Amino acid sequence: MAKMTKSLIRMLGRGGTDFPGRVAMKLDHKVLAQCAKGVKCIVVTGTNGKTTSSRMIEQTLKDLGVSFFCNKSGANLITGITAEFISHSTLTGHCKCDYALIECDEAAFKEVSTMIDARAIVVTNIFRDQLDRYGEVTHTLNSIKIGISHSPKATLCLNADDSMVASIADDFKNKVVYFGVNVPIYKKRVQEVSDAPFCIKCKHEYVYDYVTYGHLGGYRCPNCGYHRPTPDVAVVKVLQSDASKSVVDLTVDGTPYRATINLPGGYNIYNACGTVAVGRALKLDMTAVIRSLSEFAPGFGRMEKLVIDGTPIRMILVKNPAGCNQVLNFVTNVSEPSVFVVCLNDRDADGTDISWIWDVDFEKIAEMGSQLKGLFLSGVRADEMALRFKYAGIPEEKMKVIKDYETLMKTCAAQKCPVYIMPTYTAMMDLRNKITKMYDVKNFWE
Amino acid sequence: MDQPLRICHLYPDILNLYGDRGNVLCLKRRMEWRNMPVEVSKVGVGEPLKADDYDLFFVGGGQDFDQEVLLPDLFSGKDKELKAAIEDGKPVLAICGGYQMLGAYYKTWDGKQIDFIGALDFYTKGVKTRMIGNYVFTFDDRPGVNVIGFENHSGKTYLGAGVRPMGTVLKGYGNNGEDKTEGVRYKNVFGTYSHGCLLPKNPAVADALLSAALERKTGHGELSPLPDRFENRAHDEMEKRLLG
Repeated sequence: MAKMTKSLIRMLGRGGTDFPGRVAMKLDHKVLAQCAKGVKCIVVTGTNGKTTSSRMIEQTLKDLGVSFFCNKSGANLITGITAEFISHSTLTGHCKCDYALIECDEAAFKEVSTMIDARAIVVTNIFRDQLDRYGEVTHTLNSIKIGISHSPKATLCLNADDSMVASIADDFKNKVVYFGVNVPIYKKRVQEVSDAPFCIKCKHEYVYDYVTYGHLGGYRCPNCGYHRPTPDVAVVKVLQSDASKSVVDLTVDGTPYRATINLPGGYNIYNACGTVAVGRALKLDMTAVIRSLSEFAPGFGRMEKLVIDGTPIRMILVKNPAGCNQVLNFVTNVSEPSVFVVCLNDRDADGTDISWIWDVDFEKIAEMGSQLKGLFLSGVRADEMALRFKYAGIPEEKMKVIKDYETLMKTCAAQKCPVYIMPTYTAMMDLRNKITKMYDVKNFWE
Repeated sequence: MDQPLRICHLYPDILNLYGDRGNVLCLKRRMEWRNMPVEVSKVGVGEPLKADDYDLFFVGGGQDFDQEVLLPDLFSGKDKELKAAIEDGKPVLAICGGYQMLGAYYKTWDGKQIDFIGALDFYTKGVKTRMIGNYVFTFDDRPGVNVIGFENHSGKTYLGAGVRPMGTVLKGYGNNGEDKTEGVRYKNVFGTYSHGCLLPKNPAVADALLSAALERKTGHGELSPLPDRFENRAHDEMEKRLLG
């Protein structure tokens, strides 16, 4: 075992993300269980917001001096997680840290959870995502429940505003910390298809006192009485919300705090709440947790910003209707005339089914009128994206299909106005590589 | 044409799997682009359906959980109205779950039978493996035209003698992955597994539906051509990828 781990660690020197984990698992499926022995794990799962939530939690753990490591590069399947544990273990397979912060794919969670000691599990939300890969939303919910059933010692940090996520608590004896937002976030929201209009308990249609976004908000079932639980970590007021940050008043078990969330967009308010909920679950100093939130800076593809030839470019990952609609809530409210780029791929990691683009309220971009200076479409399915925008009501002459990334980036850099690039996952990776090669912006995503 | 073409979007809240609503948007826009009046109505759970009020029906696909919500509502009278409309020759486009519901029944892989409205002569059997992916099939109503779509179903559909398929699968699974048939045609009903957004990138199918509806309503089904540059590019790109 020790010998094997040693050779694996040597391989890790070459810096692969999940390749060594894949090899290790071939050799010994239980290598993760071995390395994870005695490590208290914080798991972040759910459809949207895993990466940003993990980075926010990372910031608080770092600021509070907790001994931990995390899987940072988005390798959130069992192979990537295994690789991360190996690289933080001694030659005999013992982990050097007290805690591990693990971003975990919702489908992989049920297997990962059998081999680790989870002490806190954050479930961010459950939306429709890549039906070709994950199946129906209830299937995702069940995968997460199986994962939790392997984690009796974990405190569950659940999104109270998501009826599916909140319902998880009823099936387990685990301690629960609910987080949620008590008030509407957006004055004008995008038009959305609800992913959970019917009561998870009795299938009657929910009544909403307010909606924050998607199917999140103050739901209650008039038939069986199932309703949004009162959150322990609750945003009670949104004081400010602009293109760079949000300032909110929140309460933790009734004690008031004011928090600055260093990322725009209502969905990041939820990511921050989940982070505070983890702090509460681990009994960390609350004032310090909330202070460190304001120190947070975003990770790659999650609102990263770079300037090329004087043109400010922001790259924001999109991958499913709910997430993409939230990005639109943000980008369509910008104050300067801007250029938008959508880069749509349909490889396995993007989801091979791209029909979700028809569920996104791209009509909001058409409503921007002269604020929209131009729209470039790229990626493998650029033509389908252009068609979607034609139906959204964007004049054909405002659109340009640019499939070659080099030409695309040169055109973007020449705009001299803000450019917002919305790529799917593999398109984001390819674009990053291209930008790194073309311009001197090597570390912009770090 | 003075009276608008009346489109009924049945169960928009439940049968709305990935992009289905784009089909209704497509029908509406293709009427508007031709300066022809059109009207879309949504009919959901608990709302009455009167077939006489509409000229064209759209039914999308849904998730299993949501479909359980819908069946009692369907059988509280909507089934009869829908059957009457179909027999009356009104065009219906039904996708995936909506398609299956027009048939006789769905038998789950462990033998449980769920009865559907039986408007058309076919049935569906559930299997454990899903049939997923981009696919292409011929559109027999318009010889020479191929339909491209994305299928994602674990039900295998078998057609009876009273109906014919929409076309022959050139790449992918289609109705059952065995007999190369895809979809169903009966009078003016079009059923298919092409979930997500079928019509925008298959304008020939959209126009076939509109044409049938207009023919029945006004006696004139001819449609003026539209500049389908974007449509054809999206269609041809995928067709080329699938057929080489």
